Amino acid sequence: MKQKQRSILTVFILTVLLLAPAGFLAAQSLEGKVKVKRLENGLTVILIERHGAPVFSTLYGFKVGSVDEVPGITGTAHLFEHMAFKGTPKIGTKDFENERPVMDEVNRVGRELSLELVKRDQADPEILKKLREELAALEKRQMEFIVKDEIDQIYNNAGGTGLNASTGTDQTQYMISLPSNRLELFCLIESERIKNAVLREFYTERSVIQEERKQTTEAVPMRLLYEMFMGTAFLAHPYKNPVVGWASDINSVTLEEAAAFKKKYYTPNNCVLAIVGDVWPEKAFPLIERYFGAIPRGDDPPALRTVEPKQLGERRVVLEFAAEPMMVMGFHKPTFPSKDDAAAMIAANILSLGRTSRLYKDLVRDKQIAASINVGSGPGLRYDNLVTVTAVPRYPHTNEELGKAVWEHLEKLKTEPVTGQELQKVKNNIEANYIRGMASNMGLAFTLLRYQLLFGDWHLYLKAKDAYNAVTADDIMQFAKKTFTIENRTVAYLVKKAAQ
Amino acid sequence: MRTRKEMPTKNNNIFLNITIILILLAAAGPSFAQLDPKALPEPAPLKFNPPKPVEFTLPNGIRVLYLEDRELPLINILGFLKCGSLYEPGEKTGLAGLTGTVLRTGGTKKMSGDDINEELEFLAATVESSIGTEFAQIMAQCLKKDLKRVLEIYADIAMNPEFRQDRIDLAKNQAVESIRRRWDMPIQAASALFQERAYGAGHPLGRRTTPKSLAAVVRQDLVDFHKKYFAPNNMLMGVSGDLSASEAKSLLQSVFGAWKKKDVRFPAVPALAENADGTVYYAYKDTPQGNMFLGHLGSRRLSPDEPALEIMNYVFGGGTFSARLMKELRSNRGLTYGIYGGVESGPDRGLFMISSQLKAERFVEALDLVKGIIVDLQTKPVSDGELAEAKNSTINSFAFRFEQKRTALIQYINLKLEGYPSNYLEIYIDNIRKITKADVQAVAKKYMDPAKMIVLVVGDEKKFDKPLSSFGKVRPIDLKAIIEEEKGAQK
Repeated sequence: MKQKQRSILTVFILTVLLLAPAGFLAAQSLEGKVKVKRLENGLTVILIERHGAPVFSTLYGFKVGSVDEVPGITGTAHLFEHMAFKGTPKIGTKDFENERPVMDEVNRVGRELSLELVKRDQADPEILKKLREELAALEKRQMEFIVKDEIDQIYNNAGGTGLNASTGTDQTQYMISLPSNRLELFCLIESERIKNAVLREFYTERSVIQEERKQTTEAVPMRLLYEMFMGTAFLAHPYKNPVVGWASDINSVTLEEAAAFKKKYYTPNNCVLAIVGDVWPEKAFPLIERYFGAIPRGDDPPALRTVEPKQLGERRVVLEFAAEPMMVMGFHKPTFPSKDDAAAMIAANILSLGRTSRLYKDLVRDKQIAASINVGSGPGLRYDNLVTVTAVPRYPHTNEELGKAVWEHLEKLKTEPVTGQELQKVKNNIEANYIRGMASNMGLAFTLLRYQLLFGDWHLYLKAKDAYNAVTADDIMQFAKKTFTIENRTVAYLVKKAAQ
Repeated sequence: MRTRKEMPTKNNNIFLNITIILILLAAAGPSFAQLDPKALPEPAPLKFNPPKPVEFTLPNGIRVLYLEDRELPLINILGFLKCGSLYEPGEKTGLAGLTGTVLRTGGTKKMSGDDINEELEFLAATVESSIGTEFAQIMAQCLKKDLKRVLEIYADIAMNPEFRQDRIDLAKNQAVESIRRRWDMPIQAASALFQERAYGAGHPLGRRTTPKSLAAVVRQDLVDFHKKYFAPNNMLMGVSGDLSASEAKSLLQSVFGAWKKKDVRFPAVPALAENADGTVYYAYKDTPQGNMFLGHLGSRRLSPDEPALEIMNYVFGGGTFSARLMKELRSNRGLTYGIYGGVESGPDRGLFMISSQLKAERFVEALDLVKGIIVDLQTKPVSDGELAEAKNSTINSFAFRFEQKRTALIQYINLKLEGYPSNYLEIYIDNIRKITKADVQAVAKKYMDPAKMIVLVVGDEKKFDKPLSSFGKVRPIDLKAIIEEEKGAQK
């Protein structure tokens, strides 16, 4: 039963982490340990030595995510993330020279098929059938050349763990942890993946992602509700789109579009590499320079033009779904590093962090209207975002009842200052959680990378400390007054649809 | 995300306390054409001595493992006791879980649960308890400066819980709400229905907590359950962090010294019986994919087959992209975002199980493929490359078990709890190295029976490529009726 609840909240744990960047003690001890170097091609490298176990973790990220997509190609940032595991001319193939013409044919037929499919009802079933058969036959031929998932194979043999990648609204990152004497292997494989990626097996992978979308969004009530919520809270800004993309776009995007997207954003000048663990800078930097330094610089990615217009009235959306009810409520607010963002972070924690938080005590423990409540922020950090309340009512209580009860707490923040004890408790927790976050090499790499990549300087994470510490009860009240208004509110309810 | 694992693989609780040979890469100068990682020269070995915990026993019988970790001003306290839902009466299913929750939230004789919350959260410390099928856990984390106070609270919770009625009610209400929602996600529904059939609905591992079984639990049951199993001589603790072994010892003695030894007895757990007979169980749910759990009972913990099974699991469906299930169903055919499977061990028997969420319009094709992959493992030896990768990966990734002291300690403790001999690790590594293709094939035959697997399907058969009856004899499960029955009991 405990586990069940955890799974309902998993989606939002990430947003809570994003809200908790300040570390005081740990931050000070970090200064001096963090070595940063910018290569000539613009790649920023962050290195932290930690000589415990003979292992290191690596993470490199590009400042590109679903926020950089336009209608028709939503999901491309994520799709490309998958394609980055398919190899190079030397990895993943027995004979690239002879594979290539077959692959070109696969891509030609795949593209034709995609273009035909986009005609929807007007598509010619005969042509579809012919192209499908042709594609299947070509893919089968290409398979004879392919060494399946060879990047995985090589890293597995080397003792690597956690080879993976993730895409968000704001950034895309790739990770692998290795035994400490595998640094050169890492440099070689990863620089090759950036420089010489071969997008083989594109159309099969597109099919995997169709299933990913069904598995992780369409079959998961809270994820589906969150998607509808964001699509409602944002009218113009691309934060309205799901990271995985809309189903129709996933089914239609072509290899050429994915390749163009990669070319635009996967440049060293749009990338930060973080390495944490048992590595020695005097050996590591020259190696990194030799391999990653050879990646040619690209044009700076274009700036996003669209700005979300001010919300002029409440927005509501209902999802009818065969599941028990749940709700999301959200309010537009400025992003990091604004003063309001700091106030939002403290307020969110006072409302829902732990068993002594206001919403837990009143609505989960005492009134028992809710099964769980979490206040966080999302969907990203690069642009102005939302403070969100996700809540699960407890039967027989309803979304409406719970929404009303949450609203009363938000109203209270406007009229009564939070107590000194509440404020101090939250600040104590921010500090301690951050120290705990440093226990893991990958966790530390992730934090530093995010600040460097999204805001240009990992030191901002030290400066955030001052901002959080400076938040006063009055700041929270001012923030609540201007943010928690009905006209700035978006509400999404999942309403149970009777099963047929 | 490229991959998200839905099913945990085997708990890797195997350690090496001998020198590990890792591999060193000689520096090779890159040329700036396309580079081949396979051309990098074979590396030289690297030496690594895993940290070994200091062990001591308090006069009242609490066994303690200690690992120093001075990097951050943090302390981790771990506590495990043999105690779990295996030992709860069937008509009170859920008792162990409730006891684990309310142990912490229900407060102690001295402090209410709310007082404990206020004090710990102000210190940014955590003490959390839970009881699973075999073991109870109490885990704490705090800043070094708060250790003494946090340990006092920790020991008070372990020794003197009060199980206040209002917090029992809260925990029950929360549990009932979770039960209302457990059928909302198709893969969770499939998992629950599969466990019930694989272990048997009458066995403690197979039966489900229901509103009715929760209603049968009263406060005295929690008090008695705690009294029966919580004793110092039944507790194994771990301490890691910014303190010395002698500090740890004297602090633990000061908070636990008054706790008296007692006789702890465990009721007999019924032996598991194999229920699998190849039946296809089908529960209709309006959901986009076909959700499946396949399998039957697995292996017994401490079996000499474990190393061979570990290699077989790696090749079969252990979670990497090199696994055959993943390769064929995801990478080659795009039928799923992920598929995992293998033979797991349990105190009596674990499960052999495969799970995935699959493209509905090719669902039966996928079932056939899975069956074919099993038969293949049973009838043909694995390739040289597969065998080598499975071994290399296991051996070369070993150092990661020691990256964080806390997780290293948890693994040491699990090994002890599960009864592995202290010299087991060296034997284990030798055995991994010794595994042959024939060993892998032999365990594939011994532990997997594709003809008898339970085939549990949640989804909408109308969307499938072929009727399920083409795969086996189908028995429908009326999910709607199950849900209604559980709800009826709620009111």
